Amino acid sequence: MTQTFEIRPAGKQSILDLRELWQFRHLYRTLVWRTLRVRYQQTVIGVAWALLQPALLVFVFTIIFGRLAAIPSNGQPYPIFVLSGLLIWLFVAQAFGQASISMVANAHLITRIYFPRIILILTVITAALADFLCAFVLLILMMLWYGIMPSAGAFAFLPMLALAIATVFGLSLWASALNVPYRDVGLLLPFLVQLWMFLSPVIYPSTLLPEKYQFLYALNPIVVVIDTSRWAFAAGPPPALWMVGVSCVMALLFCVTGFWYFRRQEATFADVV
Amino acid sequence: MPEVAVSVSGLGKWYIVNENRFRGTLSEKLGRMVTAPFRARTPSAAGAHAMPNAIWALRDVSFDLETGKVMGVIGRNGSGKSTMLRILARITTPTEGRALLHGRVGALLEVGTGFHPDLSGRENILLSGTMIGMTPAEVKKHEDEIIAFSEVEDFIDTPVKHYSSGMFMRLGFAVAAHLDTEIMLVDEVLAVGDEAFQRKCKKKIRETALAGRTVLFTSHDMDSIKAICHSCILLDHGKVVAQGGVAETVAEYQRVCAA
Repeated sequence: MTQTFEIRPAGKQSILDLRELWQFRHLYRTLVWRTLRVRYQQTVIGVAWALLQPALLVFVFTIIFGRLAAIPSNGQPYPIFVLSGLLIWLFVAQAFGQASISMVANAHLITRIYFPRIILILTVITAALADFLCAFVLLILMMLWYGIMPSAGAFAFLPMLALAIATVFGLSLWASALNVPYRDVGLLLPFLVQLWMFLSPVIYPSTLLPEKYQFLYALNPIVVVIDTSRWAFAAGPPPALWMVGVSCVMALLFCVTGFWYFRRQEATFADVV
Repeated sequence: MPEVAVSVSGLGKWYIVNENRFRGTLSEKLGRMVTAPFRARTPSAAGAHAMPNAIWALRDVSFDLETGKVMGVIGRNGSGKSTMLRILARITTPTEGRALLHGRVGALLEVGTGFHPDLSGRENILLSGTMIGMTPAEVKKHEDEIIAFSEVEDFIDTPVKHYSSGMFMRLGFAVAAHLDTEIMLVDEVLAVGDEAFQRKCKKKIRETALAGRTVLFTSHDMDSIKAICHSCILLDHGKVVAQGGVAETVAEYQRVCAA
């Protein structure tokens, strides 16, 4: 059976063409492999970096925020408190940071071959998830060390991880498409990501925030994800259900509008990038 | 009954040149940025006349290509050959017109697409092969042939950043040449390396073209064109100047070049 396709001026496209994505699954797999392979190529300790990076951060944060600033940590040792949140945050920062520049960074591919450009974002997020799994091993080791058992919150962890992925995905669609004609985005984002970290309960517990700001807090879906992680693997109250609801709506909003914008701009990438 | 594999009608594309996106105040710029997704992104053919700095890279190109035939695309530099192949390869979208392609399309427009300097030659074969449209299984199947063709056997497990430019291009060509699709878009500029290897490339391209595939073939070498094409199309400044038989079109090309 031969396939037929039609080439027409860029116009209305379906928001998501799953059949086409499936056709390009090999490319996706190869790109994920390339990303991971290149990242740890020519390093002495290789993949161990995925473990060492969070470990070093935990060490530094424990000294500065746990000891010197004496930030409360829900009654658990600060290292495990901070790692249970940092783990999520490192995934978000790495995936979003790299996905937002992925169109420009892969300009040599975009101008030479056709493929659904969304694959570049999927690739970055998948590779970041691989690093996340390594960091998760570190968390398990630390739980064994401190003798902490996971709570019932562990069951909520996977759905919450999906919420974090959806958030990153939606925002990456926006940022990567905007970064093609406006490189300002790539320069502005590292600052915004830094700010985002302080607006999320990474180094401090979310209970530190006054009650009246809780609604604003819920607009950032990463808050409930981190709170769930703490509840499951360290210590802390579960996130309020209404906050989870608001966060889900936000993530959905990012994804739907992101898809819409990205698909509109996609056809121009090869000419503009 | 001959079947049409590629059908192109009224294909055209314009580019805006010298567009200064850094003109205007920051607020104007932000305003445009915010409204951009709401404006029509598709430049209309009528809109081109309103744009003083729009140029047509390609205009009013129409042809039908039967299954199994080879069509030469000739023209001087900047005549729109590459734009046409890039549109048919779906890298960029046309401004007007349409094209129908029946079958898997492979494009050999560039040497070493997707090569990564830090990866070895062998790894890059997989990478580049998958990127231009082979499945990993197909790449594996042809791996030995590709390595043999490229003549870089001894360095195949060395990162390609240590390759000489000749080795790099030979490996790139070898991967591209083993792509096997029903419709092929081939740019003979692809023939690379020293004279001996270029001959080998051209021979490989001709074999590909003569293996019963539908091929759109662009070259500046009229001997190649005459040797393998069944028909020809001549572009100049984005427009079709002549199309039809190979001999007449090539003669017309030589007149255009002499002028």
